[in-house]
Amino acid sequence: MVLPSSGDPRLRLSAVIMTLHVLGQTVLGFKVSIAQILVSIGVGALIELAVTYRRQRMLVWPASGILTGSGVAFILRASGTDNGDWWSLNGIQFFVLAVVLSLLSKYFIRPGGRHLFNPSNVGLVWALLVIGPNHVFPQYLWWGPNDAAVAVAYAVILLGGVWVLKPVRMAPMAASFLVPFAVLVGAFAASGRSFIAIWHDGPIGGASYFLNVAMSPEVLVFVLFMMSDPQTAPRARAGRVIYGSATALVAAGLIYFQPTEFGIKLAILSSLTVVCALVPLIEAAARRVGQPRGEAVSTLGDARPLPQRLVAAARNPAIVAALIIAVAAPLNTAALAGNQQVILIERGLTGEANAQ
Amino acid sequence: MALAASAAMGANLFGMRDRLLGSATPEARPAAVSRTADGSATTPTVITEPQETVLRSQPWWQRVATLEGSGPTTSAPFTIDDAAIQWRVVWRCESGNLVVREPAASEPLVDANCPGGDTGYSTETGPTSLAVDAAGPWQLQVEQQLDVPLVEPPLPAMTAPGTVAETTGSFYRMDQSGTGVVTIYRLADGSAALRLDDFFVTPNVDLEIHLSPLEAPQTTDEFLSVPSVEVAPLDVTAGSMNFTVPPGIDPSRYRSVVIWCPLIDSAYAAATLVPAQP
Repeated sequence: MVLPSSGDPRLRLSAVIMTLHVLGQTVLGFKVSIAQILVSIGVGALIELAVTYRRQRMLVWPASGILTGSGVAFILRASGTDNGDWWSLNGIQFFVLAVVLSLLSKYFIRPGGRHLFNPSNVGLVWALLVIGPNHVFPQYLWWGPNDAAVAVAYAVILLGGVWVLKPVRMAPMAASFLVPFAVLVGAFAASGRSFIAIWHDGPIGGASYFLNVAMSPEVLVFVLFMMSDPQTAPRARAGRVIYGSATALVAAGLIYFQPTEFGIKLAILSSLTVVCALVPLIEAAARRVGQPRGEAVSTLGDARPLPQRLVAAARNPAIVAALIIAVAAPLNTAALAGNQQVILIERGLTGEANAQ
Repeated sequence: MALAASAAMGANLFGMRDRLLGSATPEARPAAVSRTADGSATTPTVITEPQETVLRSQPWWQRVATLEGSGPTTSAPFTIDDAAIQWRVVWRCESGNLVVREPAASEPLVDANCPGGDTGYSTETGPTSLAVDAAGPWQLQVEQQLDVPLVEPPLPAMTAPGTVAETTGSFYRMDQSGTGVVTIYRLADGSAALRLDDFFVTPNVDLEIHLSPLEAPQTTDEFLSVPSVEVAPLDVTAGSMNFTVPPGIDPSRYRSVVIWCPLIDSAYAAATLVPAQP
């Protein structure tokens, strides 16, 4: 078995997410079972072990597969699972599907020889949109009353963020997301936007809207531990800043119309799906920014005329798949704004069988 | 192809996802507008069309027909709503035997010795009538069980001159979900009535509406810490409904309305009462 080096940033990220999983189980009331977490991690690890063995005839520690499974279980919730149902396998098929699809996207959607989408992000978006609000929902934006447990969670996220981001040089990317995102969400709050959530009576507006959306620990986890994946983020510093800002703009644009927490969470997740699909273009733009004026730079390294490039792209299944995902994710997320089922679920009006 | 299909399913095109994976909400159906099927229990102040709704109530019994007589007869036709879960005949008789049949049914709904009283059940819906074979006096009440919300107009007395809306409040969640508005009226004759508007509480059997002296109870233990009074049983858990406050209860002495479940000793939801705007 080939083990990762001790400096591998994936090990740091795993340590932080596992710490948050433990807090979620013990003091934060996360509605996910230990069995769901372990199965998700196990499926991710097994798939990566098998794929790596088939390609390299070597057993390599499946650090990425573990992270994908852990990331899916961190955010995905199956209706009917409660905190304390430690060994419940309720809705386990949804966790397995999300992890399998995450890794399928990693291995098959590789338009430039590099996977395009953040695996756990695209798996979560798929699961939440396609399986739907009757069976699954994302971890709440609100992690509980402002008590010691939430303070410890914030500390783990922020210190863990510094620990994880430093070696991969993603701090500017995180800032380029968080600042415009906070400004835009603040503007929405000031303009009277509100949302409803199962854990709150009545609409959440004003300062609470800003705090629950822009300052949510969920958003920090999204930025610091999902967007920061160096495999799917642009490589250059300028590209990373564009990537962070673009994700913030797309997220805010999708959030504006959402009246429910489910929709807001999907808006945040889908924004990364869209922007990951644009990373090759962002990298080309970043190269142009970094190039001396007057020097020609070919787009995506392809010198063919545009019509030929488009025909070639249409014949490339990976590009077509990426296009479908990049278009369907924001469109279906936007459609959640008018979804009466989600509104009734978030208002708690579907009776004892309420999905959340 | 699989991706395109899942994208279409994610959009729930043509209700594809609901059909394959089920829906969080049932099909929209018209709400009931009265506690009686023909609306005779309601003297509406405003005639309203039944609203379509996906909300569901705890199943409740709506009166369909009341029949009484002495000796054999066949009742006038009546209709059991297609949406009814089941229907029942609550019977009483004085002497001899009582046999009650639906024309198309092989088994009688009631076949009993009198005097006595009980209930017979059926699940057939649509137009029907009852053939009664009896030797003495009898009474039958036909009721159908629905789970749609009940949206009654306000009682005429609530809008009559001299009536005052004294207090009002919005429901908040305690142990279960609860939404809507409660208003307590002092009627012109000095009695009191309570109205729930756009109300929903997590369904359960045998819920009760209580008045509590607490301003804003947050937990069942807190609610139980001081005595409360029952205003009425809450058989319908969704919609807009009227209740008369029993004589001897002065609502002005209480500061909140609590939906109480005596079966499991749980305060489901509450509303803090504040003076109503004139």
